[in-house]
Amino acid sequence: QCGHISLSAPIVRLGDPITASCIISQNCSHLDSESHIVWKLEAELQPGERQQYLPNGTLQSTITLPHLNRSRALLSCCLHWGNSLQILDQAELQAGYPPATPHNLSCLMNLTTNSLTCQWEPGPNNHLSTNFTLKSFRSRGNCQSQEDSIPDCVPEDGQSHCSIPRKHLQLYQNMGIWVQAKNALGTSVSPKLCLVPMDVVKLEPPTLWALGPSPELAPPQPGCLRLRWETWKPSLHIDQKCELRHQPRLGEASWDLVGALPSRTLQYELCRLRPSTAYALQMRCTRWRLPGHWSNWSPSLELTTTQR
Amino acid sequence: TPLGPASSLPQSFLLKCLEQVRKIQADGADLQERLCTTHKLCHPEELVLLGHSLGIPQASLSSCSSQTLQLTGCLRQLHGGLFLFQGLLQALAGISPELAPTLDILQLDVTDFATNIWLQMEDLGVAPAVQPTQGPMPTFTSAFQRRAGGVLVASKLQSFLELAYRVLRYLAEP
Repeated sequence: QCGHISLSAPIVRLGDPITASCIISQNCSHLDSESHIVWKLEAELQPGERQQYLPNGTLQSTITLPHLNRSRALLSCCLHWGNSLQILDQAELQAGYPPATPHNLSCLMNLTTNSLTCQWEPGPNNHLSTNFTLKSFRSRGNCQSQEDSIPDCVPEDGQSHCSIPRKHLQLYQNMGIWVQAKNALGTSVSPKLCLVPMDVVKLEPPTLWALGPSPELAPPQPGCLRLRWETWKPSLHIDQKCELRHQPRLGEASWDLVGALPSRTLQYELCRLRPSTAYALQMRCTRWRLPGHWSNWSPSLELTTTQR
Repeated sequence: TPLGPASSLPQSFLLKCLEQVRKIQADGADLQERLCTTHKLCHPEELVLLGHSLGIPQASLSSCSSQTLQLTGCLRQLHGGLFLFQGLLQALAGISPELAPTLDILQLDVTDFATNIWLQMEDLGVAPAVQPTQGPMPTFTSAFQRRAGGVLVASKLQSFLELAYRVLRYLAEP
C-alpha cells in the first residue's frame, strides 16, 4: 500500500480538532527527495501540514484540522506527480454530538398484539449513528429494586418505539422501563418509568349499533334514539366504564356527553334530543375501577330522531 | 396464623384477580373451542376413562368454600392449584401447531395469576416458607393423548376457576 492515513480519532465532536497522519512507504516508486504530501478535505487543499522523513525512509505528513464543522468529510492524502495530484489514501471523517437524553417515554399495553409498546422522543439529530435500546426489569415495589431483568427491546432502524412481547411480561406486576441511547461519543438514558402493564392498557372502542323497530318494543318517543353497543372482544374480561357523546350532524352544536355507561348493553334509549334530527353518536371506554387509558372514540353511528 | 376477614386483602388485588380469572376462563374456552373444532374432541365426559389412566391430578379449593372460608388456606390452595395447572399445561407442550399459541397465552396468564397470588401472600406474610415444587405430571405419549389431556385439563381448569371466581367475588364485596 503506497500511502496510509491514520486519524487521532475516527469520530470527534462537531467543531473539535482532528489530527491526521499520512505515511508513504519506501516502496512507493514515485517517492523522491522532492516529494511533497498535500492534504485535501473534500475538494479543498488544506495548508499547515508538517512533513518529515522517518529513519526507515518513509515519508510522513501530519495535519491538524482545528475545527471539524462537517458531520461527514473525506480527507485525502495526495502526492504531486508530474503535473497531477495523485490520491494515495482517503479517510472518512465523522463529527457529531453525544446522544441527547431520550424523553417523553410512554407505554401502552396493546391487547391485540399482546405486547407492551413504548415510544419516546429521541431528541435532536446528533449526526452520528445512534443505537436506541428499550431496557426493562420486573420489580416488586416501586421499581427501586430489580427482580429479574427482561431482554433488551431493540427497535427497528430509525424507529422510536419498541414492543416487549407478552412472554417477557408479567401483566400485573411493576416494571421499570427506560431508553438508552448510545453512539461513538457517549451514552445517555431517559428518565425511568415504573408501571404495571395492565394499568396502561389502551382499549379499542366499542361497536355501536342502531336498534331497529321490533314487535316487542314500542316505537321510540319523539326526540329519542335507540341503540346498543358491544365491548371490543379482546377486552371482554376487563371491567370497564364508557362514555357516549352525540351531536346533531348539521350545524355547529358541540358534543354532548353521557358518562358512566356500562361496557355492554342490549338496548339503550337516548332522549331529550331534537325531533326529526340526524345525530352522530360516538362512544369510548376505559378499564374501570382498575387503571387504564381511554380508548379512542368509536366511529360515528348516525341516527335520526323520530318526528313529534 | 389465619388471616382475618377479607378486608385484609386490598380491593385492587381482588379486582385484578377477578380480571385475571375472567381472562384465563376466556383463554381456556378458546382452547376448548379449538380442540373441538380442529380435533373433534368436544366433551370431557367422553374422556373419563382416559383421564383415569393418565392420572391427571385434581386441585382442591376446600378452604375457599363459603361455609368454611379460611383465607390463608384459601390463598395457598389457590396458588397451589394454579401452580399445578402451570405444570399440567407445560406437560401439554407440543399439543399441535394450531393450538400452540393458545396454549402459550393460557400458560402465561396462569403463571401471571399464580405470581400475583404468591406476591400478595408474601406481602401479607402468609406465604409458605418454601416455593412449591411440581409433583409428578401425567405423561402424554401420543398426539391424541396430549389433545385429550388438553380437553380434560381445560375442563378441570374451568371448574377450578369457577370456584375461585365465586370466592374472589365474595371477598371483593364491599
